[in-house]
Amino acid sequence: MASSKVFTRVIERRGLRSEISAAWAISVRIWKVELSYPLSLLWFILMPFLWLIPMVLAGSSVSTGPDSAELARLTGIDDWVSYIAIGTGLMGLTLSIIWGTGMSLRREQNVGTLETLMTTPIERSTLVLGSALHNLQHGGLGVILQLAASTILFGVTLNAWGVFPALAVLALGVIALQGVVYAIACVVMVAKQGWMIVEFIGDFLILLAPTAYPLAVLPWFLQAASLASPLTWTVEAFRDALILGPGAPSLLTAALVLLILDAIYVPLGLLLYKRTETWVRKRGALSQF
Amino acid sequence: MHQDAASPTTEGGQRERTDIPPRVLLDWRAARIFAEKNLMISLRYPANIIVWGVVPILWLAPYVLMMTALSGSAGTIRFQELSGFDDFVKFAIVGWFVYQYVDNAIWSIGNNFRWEQFSGTLEPLFVAPVSRVSILLGAAISDTVFTTLSAVVLLGTSCVLFGVSYSFVMVAPVILTLLLMLFALFGFGFMVAGLILVFKDPSVLTQLVDTVAFTVTPVNYPVQALPPYARFLAYLVPATIAMEVIRHLLIDAYIEMSVFLTSIMFLLLLLVGFWVVGLAAFRYAERWTKERGSMGGF
Repeated sequence: MASSKVFTRVIERRGLRSEISAAWAISVRIWKVELSYPLSLLWFILMPFLWLIPMVLAGSSVSTGPDSAELARLTGIDDWVSYIAIGTGLMGLTLSIIWGTGMSLRREQNVGTLETLMTTPIERSTLVLGSALHNLQHGGLGVILQLAASTILFGVTLNAWGVFPALAVLALGVIALQGVVYAIACVVMVAKQGWMIVEFIGDFLILLAPTAYPLAVLPWFLQAASLASPLTWTVEAFRDALILGPGAPSLLTAALVLLILDAIYVPLGLLLYKRTETWVRKRGALSQF
Repeated sequence: MHQDAASPTTEGGQRERTDIPPRVLLDWRAARIFAEKNLMISLRYPANIIVWGVVPILWLAPYVLMMTALSGSAGTIRFQELSGFDDFVKFAIVGWFVYQYVDNAIWSIGNNFRWEQFSGTLEPLFVAPVSRVSILLGAAISDTVFTTLSAVVLLGTSCVLFGVSYSFVMVAPVILTLLLMLFALFGFGFMVAGLILVFKDPSVLTQLVDTVAFTVTPVNYPVQALPPYARFLAYLVPATIAMEVIRHLLIDAYIEMSVFLTSIMFLLLLLVGFWVVGLAAFRYAERWTKERGSMGGF
């Protein structure tokens, strides 16, 4: 009788709190799986440095000191090491969200748990949201590690007053990115072996974003395309806030644009996801490889 | 299939094969058949050749754009002093072209048995009466053919996109250098294959090995940009010497004979070293895995 009551309660669960709780449970479960591989943990700690070091070495091979007159002319920031270290800090977070979340359904499919998860009384989009929550924590810790290492190893100085606005802009950017990720999950659901598309979208978004260079060095058509990417505005404002502080001129514009992108990408991504999921289920192709 | 009339008969009435030749260290026929099998599978997905020829441009472009943003042009005095070349775009494209083979050694050759494991064919493959080295070599050959096609697409597309050109008058020394590097990298790939047999989950290990190799090899920057202790590590990766030689041949269309011969000797030494260490590491890993009964485990 007691188990029947629990079962009824589980089936009748509704509301935002229940979904957040389910997303949290998914996030914790992914952490447990990841931490059961010691090499994964080592990679997680080393990854932020290993991605930054080749960039710094490439920069040092063309620049004689820590300042670049050309970069100062293009951006107003002459300290190129800080510019690159903070910009590329968001690269790991972005890739973590795009790969981890975009491929989350495929991963469940590979281990044979997708159909079981789909029959649980949670919103289908919560499956992706739970994975996004995990990747946000995973990638977020990576950003903290990279910024800490950059400060210790390369003498990068961060404006402490800019931390709060930087986090606010990051939150807006991650929300818009979630819309993009829902669209990627749709591609993976339909194409199954969607890693090629995920690779391409992830790399292309990073190419468009001013992580290690200003937009001015991109060809005009890529500059135009980059304006539609939430990552472009997030990286620019995040870095400006941490270098120039809360008075950075790009902050307000970036926040406004990101709010607009949030309002467009999230509903669009969710709609696309729901339609695709229904379509795939109707074709009985959910667990097909 | 031919059966010896004198073969003993089992309880089920089937004849046992007695004409199976003993395993030898290297069976070229088996390697060729395995290479053909892998190539047939690879060529079923021709889009992969284009994708792997184009995607690395998305990895190369950020470096070129960053170096342009810092220097304002395609070359600086500092870069020329360090590398001996005045155009870092030309420099980096050759680096990425050659690095495709390092990626191949790590991701394709090293992970080959893992893919067989995923396909459920690893254990049947391991009971076949051929040496594992032949299987690995077959995989290495087919992966190299596939990588060469992608690398040529990468070189051609990059030349068009970045508006650079190279001299192809010294093709023979370029091919010789590439071949020596490739065979040395095969040994490196065997070592990675052994590691993956032991550790199973290849994604993290492969990423780690690949990222360290990428950092120390002069793909985007010259070896001189590395700290002195890291330069020693760089020269242990066969691609470092190969990149330096091929850059001279393709960009300057000239290399001093003594430098070229020294580089070839060094590559030969690396080739022997990597094959000895790679084969020993693989055999040890295979024995270790078999003793624990975890060959087909995930």
